[in-house]
Amino acid sequence: MKRLSIVLVLVACAAMAFATSTTEMTTRIGISKIVSHPALDAVQQGIIDELAELGYEGIDYDIQSAQGDVNAAASIAAKFRADRVDVAIGIATPTAQALVNAITDIPVVYTAVTDPVGAGIVPSLSGGGGNVTGYSDLTPVREQIELLAQFGAIRAVGHVYSSGEANAVVLAETAEQVCNELGIEFVAATVTNTSEVRAATQSIIDRVDVIYVSTDNTVVSALSSLTDVAMAAGVPVMSADPSSAETQDVIAAYGFDYYTMGLATGRLVAQILEGADPNTIGVQYLTDPNDLLLHINLDIADELGIDLPQSLIDEADVIIENGVIRQN
Amino acid sequence: MIEGIFVEGLIYGIMVLGVFITFRILDFPDLTVDGSFPLGAAVMAIMITNGHNLILAVVVAFAAGVAAGMVTATIHNKLRVPNLLAGILTMTMLWSINIRVLGNKPNLPLGRGVETILSVFTRWFDFVPREWSLLIFFFLLAMAIKVLLDLFFRTDLGLTLGAMGNNQQMVVTQGVNPETLKLIGVGLSNGLVAISGAFAAQYQGFADVNLGQGIIIAGLASVMIGEFILRSNRIGLLTLRAILGSIAFRGLMYLGRYYGYYINLTPNDLKLITGILIVISLVITQLRKQKRAQTELVSSAAATQGPSGSSGADTDAVNTRQPERGAPDQEDRP
Repeated sequence: MKRLSIVLVLVACAAMAFATSTTEMTTRIGISKIVSHPALDAVQQGIIDELAELGYEGIDYDIQSAQGDVNAAASIAAKFRADRVDVAIGIATPTAQALVNAITDIPVVYTAVTDPVGAGIVPSLSGGGGNVTGYSDLTPVREQIELLAQFGAIRAVGHVYSSGEANAVVLAETAEQVCNELGIEFVAATVTNTSEVRAATQSIIDRVDVIYVSTDNTVVSALSSLTDVAMAAGVPVMSADPSSAETQDVIAAYGFDYYTMGLATGRLVAQILEGADPNTIGVQYLTDPNDLLLHINLDIADELGIDLPQSLIDEADVIIENGVIRQN
Repeated sequence: MIEGIFVEGLIYGIMVLGVFITFRILDFPDLTVDGSFPLGAAVMAIMITNGHNLILAVVVAFAAGVAAGMVTATIHNKLRVPNLLAGILTMTMLWSINIRVLGNKPNLPLGRGVETILSVFTRWFDFVPREWSLLIFFFLLAMAIKVLLDLFFRTDLGLTLGAMGNNQQMVVTQGVNPETLKLIGVGLSNGLVAISGAFAAQYQGFADVNLGQGIIIAGLASVMIGEFILRSNRIGLLTLRAILGSIAFRGLMYLGRYYGYYINLTPNDLKLITGILIVISLVITQLRKQKRAQTELVSSAAATQGPSGSSGADTDAVNTRQPERGAPDQEDRP
């Protein structure tokens, strides 16, 4: 028994030592995400597809997920640093923060981070991040709230968000500000995890005319419980994440297509692999209106008895009618 | 990467010392640590951001952890709530408190320009690569805390804490109030966890209200692995194996992440691996205990037979019997 444990320990040490030795042949890219989630997975796929499209063959991807454990994000960052990857990509705020803190001499690209300056990832919007640059997914909150006004006379907007996600808190504050400017009442409910979403929605559903869902990982994960409550009360739900719109009962979704964000990030990574200096590249946004997708679900509109203006339907990129999804 | 495993192992090793105190010495399963770890991180981060003295910030983080532990102990003592539930109550309340401490935000970054204890230390030692100076710092810190704890557990108070964990009725008959002991013990444990959180925040570069998720499991797994590595009754080695267990646990997690895909394991399965590790350590510890009990039985049976083989000589039997008796064994409790 004792001999066996000594052998096991030696094998483990050898494994660890072997793990630290690297081969310099292929390009190694480390991708670190906070959790496996359709939007974040779409970003990852976009990056991989774009790099393949641009002609980079045989890249060795090390894809790590922290499974919602913020402490694991630091372990992953240390691993990428020890492995001397060529580029480290951080998808979402906590993993990006961990990478920036651990790695100072390898390019770090963040993506799907709502507020890079507020999260301490870069010092300013215009550059000077040292080895760090990337894409922000700050959604056009103002445009989204203004879209809500097209669903009829909106007196009060309900918003359920996670108090544990920095991006959600920032977006909620922005939404409240916009609502105040537009003279709409803002009714908020916070949750700490996915199981609280239903109760939080029920607590505000009677006081609101429409519900706004931001790019909040927790709430989007529990979107079906939110829409259940909303549909039963006859309240439309608008989401900022088009990736979930095709399978969820939301009347509209207006926001970034995360796969497109992944493609754009892939282009940025390619620039860096070619030798661009991250210090000179400021916070990137998807500003092309074509990168924003508008989903409209006419079936839900019918069920709720809401007449959407034809101009809105014409603007939509994707329309769901009679159970059929069609591109516009 | 080896130094990465060691640095993390030492940082979380301080937390494991805290978990070890409540879980093993006091026999008080304490879930407060899932809340006091981010509490320490939050206090440290907010004080650093507001420009306070760094040492003072660590002391305040420690005090905050002690307070959290004392709340748990008070709920358990005064309201007769089972220890597990008391810990969960405090942990739940601490979520809201942590967000308040962070300035009503769930996340507070300590960016590159911000002065932390680690940045000061690495500046002093800038002739050594940063990873190695961090390793030296955390080694010194963990050893200092370990030595202080060893000294504490040799004092009367420390010994009484251990005795209470072993047999609460015993200390009551000696005229000691176990409620006060639990207050001190759980408070001390959570104070250590808060210190660990404070340094984890500085190491990772941010304090987040979600930092505490999974801390108790990591702590328990580390304690179990430590018991598997080193068998002992002496306090010096008990605290050492808590730290070694922490380092081994981080190493195993790293191996799982690195080699996982060879056996079709994704990073998602790491939590399953953690649980399995705890179960394996428990099983092996149980087997060892059974084997030891069996050999004791065999040797004492052999001794009672005596060299003459006759059972009539009772006095002989009494004289030759030498039952193995050691100090109360910490490992006997599963």
